[in-house]
Amino acid sequence: MSRGRIHNNIRKLRFFHGEMTQEQLAKKVGVTRQTIIAMEQDKYSPSLELAFRIAYVFGVPLEDAFSFIFEEETNSSNQI
Amino acid sequence: MSYQGKNITVSLISFTVILGFYSIRILQMIWFGSFNSTNVFRLWGIVIILSIVITIIATILTHIGSSIVQAVKTGEENPEVDDLEDERDKLIDLRGIKVTYIVFSMGIFLSMLTYVLGYSPLVMFSLLIFFGITGQISGDISRLVLYRKGF
Repeated sequence: MSRGRIHNNIRKLRFFHGEMTQEQLAKKVGVTRQTIIAMEQDKYSPSLELAFRIAYVFGVPLEDAFSFIFEEETNSSNQI
Repeated sequence: MSYQGKNITVSLISFTVILGFYSIRILQMIWFGSFNSTNVFRLWGIVIILSIVITIIATILTHIGSSIVQAVKTGEENPEVDDLEDERDKLIDLRGIKVTYIVFSMGIFLSMLTYVLGYSPLVMFSLLIFFGITGQISGDISRLVLYRKGF
């Protein structure tokens, strides 16, 4: 099975929502600011529940906030 | 550094000091020929009580320290310390516990091995608590690494 990683558009979505701060987003979804920072830096993949909460806060479908990138062995990547 | 990060750092320092104290006391006993069951089991008690008391005091001091830093930063009289534990903290904690158990399990095996090889049971008991504290320190280090590097 090919490996993959979860990518997110949280930074972009915060910008389009009046430059919402990481602190404000963290309070709205019930996590710490460090978790938001880790997610934005692709250092942490959130649980499905947290992913839905973040998409809900921004009012976008889940796939607009998060995407899964397959990393093929040939180094070419396909995104869902 | 987050509240959890500070807590882990304080725990790491505390247990390193306790391990140092324990190792020095055991070496002193061996050098001065007082390595007997009475002294070893008294040291066991001291180390376990020290661990509990220091952990409680360190947690309280970390909370007070964080409140003071937050008050200086924001200028509020009653600052809110962000000590919320979310899913990432719990996941990192679980991985830290896993490392602690792995190190402690290997330590138990090695301790038992010394007994099987014919050493005194006191050596086994001394090594058991040594690896218990080493396991805790390894778990704290792995937590700090996971907070820094992510996973």
